[in-house]
Amino acid sequence: MLAMTLQPVSFDLLDGVIQWLVVFAGFAATFLAVAIATSIPLHGMSGPGRVLKGTLRGLVDVFTVSPRRVYAIAMLAFKESIRRKALLVFVIFAALFMFAGWFMEADAARPDLHLMNLVAFVFRAMTWLVLPVVVLMSCWGLPEDIRLRSLHTVVTKPVRRSEVVLGRMLGFSAVGTVIIALMSVVGYGWILRHVPDDVSLFCRVPVYGQVSFLDRQGNPGEGVNVGDIDQTRSFIEGGSKAAAIWQFPLDQKPDELRIESRFEAFRTWKGNMDRSLRVRLTAINEQADLRVPIATYEVAEFSYNEIVVDRNIKVVDEQTLEESTVDLFEDLVVPFDPENEVHQQLQGDASAGVLTIQAQCLDRGQYIGLSAGDCFLRLADRSFAVGYFKATFGLWLQCVLLVMIAVTASCFVKFPVAFLFTFSNWIVGSLAYGFMLEIVSGKQKGGGAAESIYRLVTHMNETTPLPDNLFTKSIVAFDKPLVEGLGIIRHLIPDLSIYSMSDWLAKGFDVPWNGMLLPAIATTLAYLLPCLFLGYFSLRLRELEAK
Amino acid sequence: MSTFNSRQRKAASVVGILVLLIPIVLLGMPASGRDGGGGMLAQLRSEHDLGESDLGQIDPTSATMSFVLLGMRGIAVNMLRMDLDEYKDRKEWALMRSTTEAVITLQPHYVEVWRFLGWNMAWNVSAEWDAVPDRYYWVKEGGKFYQRGTRRNAAIPELTYETGRVWGQKIGMSDEWRYFRNYFKTDPDTKTYPNGVDPDINPNQLDNYLVAGEWARRSNEREENRQQHIMARPLFRSLPARAQLSYADALQRDVRFITASRFRDESASDQEAEDKAYAMRQSNFALSRQEWAEGFRIWTEQFGQEEFQVAGADKRIIFRLEADEDDVRELAERQKEAGVTEEEIRGAIDGYQKMANYNYWRTRAQAEADESTGTAEAHRLIYEGELKLRSGNPDEARDMLVRGMARFAQLIEEYPDLKDEDLTVEEAVWAVLLWTKCLELLGDPIPATFPLKATWDKYQGLLPELQQRYSRGD
Repeated sequence: MLAMTLQPVSFDLLDGVIQWLVVFAGFAATFLAVAIATSIPLHGMSGPGRVLKGTLRGLVDVFTVSPRRVYAIAMLAFKESIRRKALLVFVIFAALFMFAGWFMEADAARPDLHLMNLVAFVFRAMTWLVLPVVVLMSCWGLPEDIRLRSLHTVVTKPVRRSEVVLGRMLGFSAVGTVIIALMSVVGYGWILRHVPDDVSLFCRVPVYGQVSFLDRQGNPGEGVNVGDIDQTRSFIEGGSKAAAIWQFPLDQKPDELRIESRFEAFRTWKGNMDRSLRVRLTAINEQADLRVPIATYEVAEFSYNEIVVDRNIKVVDEQTLEESTVDLFEDLVVPFDPENEVHQQLQGDASAGVLTIQAQCLDRGQYIGLSAGDCFLRLADRSFAVGYFKATFGLWLQCVLLVMIAVTASCFVKFPVAFLFTFSNWIVGSLAYGFMLEIVSGKQKGGGAAESIYRLVTHMNETTPLPDNLFTKSIVAFDKPLVEGLGIIRHLIPDLSIYSMSDWLAKGFDVPWNGMLLPAIATTLAYLLPCLFLGYFSLRLRELEAK
Repeated sequence: MSTFNSRQRKAASVVGILVLLIPIVLLGMPASGRDGGGGMLAQLRSEHDLGESDLGQIDPTSATMSFVLLGMRGIAVNMLRMDLDEYKDRKEWALMRSTTEAVITLQPHYVEVWRFLGWNMAWNVSAEWDAVPDRYYWVKEGGKFYQRGTRRNAAIPELTYETGRVWGQKIGMSDEWRYFRNYFKTDPDTKTYPNGVDPDINPNQLDNYLVAGEWARRSNEREENRQQHIMARPLFRSLPARAQLSYADALQRDVRFITASRFRDESASDQEAEDKAYAMRQSNFALSRQEWAEGFRIWTEQFGQEEFQVAGADKRIIFRLEADEDDVRELAERQKEAGVTEEEIRGAIDGYQKMANYNYWRTRAQAEADESTGTAEAHRLIYEGELKLRSGNPDEARDMLVRGMARFAQLIEEYPDLKDEDLTVEEAVWAVLLWTKCLELLGDPIPATFPLKATWDKYQGLLPELQQRYSRGD
């Protein structure tokens, strides 16, 4: 049994880079402006010149680091971490894995469910063991050096502070790398040992399409909401013209196509209980006015249906009962049209054309639920190990990102504050990022912090309008700048959910490059320069004698 | 001063840890595996029928989990419960199931958690699935979950009650009861249970109501030592007997699905299949009558003889539900010193009888089991008459139906309490309706008088619904 469908994720690298440049330039300009403004009262009219000179020197320091010195600092950080017994985390890891089997009994009826739990457990264990340890060490390193004055010895050597920051980042990242590498290998072996014999390990490679809906009269629509709390899926009515239509990009013309679907059934009346609801897939070429039924099957709910369509499809004319053969690629696939709006939105290589598949429910009065990710073309599977180590790579990227944030924070605040800062970023970025966006966009009912407290204390429902009086007005006025401030700094908080690649693996899919890996790599890299600059300038401005 | 150096001390510690792990594993392994009985503690608990409620909070697995979570069990459980709700909303059943396990591992003695999570699977999650075998899987998951709860909380009557409720009410009265009752005896998951037996719930392939009755009996045993907080006591105590009555009733209902198609594969001809189905229906009716008789016996001789107490203004009144005037006098005599009067005892009996619907079930069971009125034969004749009518034999159908109606009229005469009872009235009007259909087909007029005429005239309001049922062919 597999759970709800994964949805295709799109990521536009160019768009991301532009956004990064805007935010980076915006914050850099703000910092520079503040620095210049504060330098005038401190240093008189020579202040702005000193700031610009310092900035220039900073740029030089950051971009001309010596690999040898960075390596030396990194090794120092690495050895320090080992001395501080970072590897003791393996003891907890070992204990967890020794006893985890007790709590994860395989269900013979649902072996694939068991695999899902195993994968989720391994990645959860690695995440919650590795990241806190690495973050703690990263936050601890520099403040401890300052406290023990060992940093004084370092900075008197010909070592740039940018090299200290970068070296620390690399050193702690190396610790994380070693721990994650060892744990992932052990975890992989553990999964192989515990996975039921009748479960084959592989990763699907899906090609997703663009979906659109027709309503019961056959007009373009959005499908029906049947009252599910989760509104990922739209429902189409059976025995009517309602349909879901996918358009898939094709980059090759194989002899057969594998189509996998995972629809949901919803009954408005009992109907025939001896079988599930039925769905029919039809391949369509609107240009040639050709519609070819390719499969009719019962919906395997919360699981999947897989059909293999041969390139040559036999078709029987309903009126003449004559049999003919249709070539899937010659007769049904249409060439990619750059003018077509739907074709423009397709992700993936459509060099071999675009295939249109329509799904309809055949049971009158019953409904089938579908979403974009519920039907896809399945390419040749990849090995489970490929997906597993890609997901591990995602965890590693997250670890590196947190190390960068932690080291940067430790450059300007002491250990406890740096830890709290990084930990908050981690929690908000991984658990509450969506919630934060809802607050900022105003979708979240119940207002900001003060209004929420008011509602909590007065037991007021979040959808009830606030009473119109001075007190509530002042509460709303108090919240407004906070929410707007959150709107600005949200650009600084990383969305860590993009690193959760194990979900794909757990559900039997390969981790996609464009949807997951690329944005994860881009996000981690995006923080490198800002963190380096911030850490460097903080360390330069910091009074090292203050412990 | 130790003579060992640092490395030697570390090595000694590692060896010590490894040595200590052995007894931990031997003692603490939980008994959740199918093949083994778990560690020594788990085996001893099972052997001596000791749930952890008797041993306090020393569940080694739970302690391990708490340790892992650094003692923040409450917070962890809260988060898990929120996750569980979210997984359910998103229909992530695998994650929801594993989170359920995590929650219960952390709260193995919190009865309401067991009750809620088991109900969630058996009722809520099962309803989300389309295929009936899948629904049945989740009903079983809920029931098995409760069963585990009863083992880990050996003194709690609520969890044995909930287990019985799943095997009785959920299996026997859902929309899918016809499938579920069959699945309960022969599991549809032939891959996991090649011989059709799910040993965890029904190793002897019994009827679901018989299994539910057994769980109800266990609930009653536990309730004798520990108060339950689900329902009024007489209702709780009536559960074993009610399970037996439901069993007898279900046997009657099952008859509607014993058709020739079931025997077609194993029969040489259609007629042989028809004969086999007919014979099986007859035997079901006969078995049903016997089980009604058994139900009557349990209802009146066991449940009816139990002594209950109610608190008066300054005294306690002891009584039982199966009591005639002599019994009331005898009970009053026994409690004379406490100042309890016959009137008070009659009042208490009346109140509790109404609460448990005692007299209805008493009369119904007695009537169904009564050979002199031939109630079982009346049911059979009406149903066989319906089959004849639907298969195009109005002649034979008319004869059977009129005989069934006559017997039914006799039943109402013998048991006037049933005269206006819903099920009796519905069957009576249904029989007459079928009979009129036969007459219509044969071109015969409806005579001025016929058996069950009074009921037919009085309950004409039921006709539109029954006409629809006839048209649908239900």
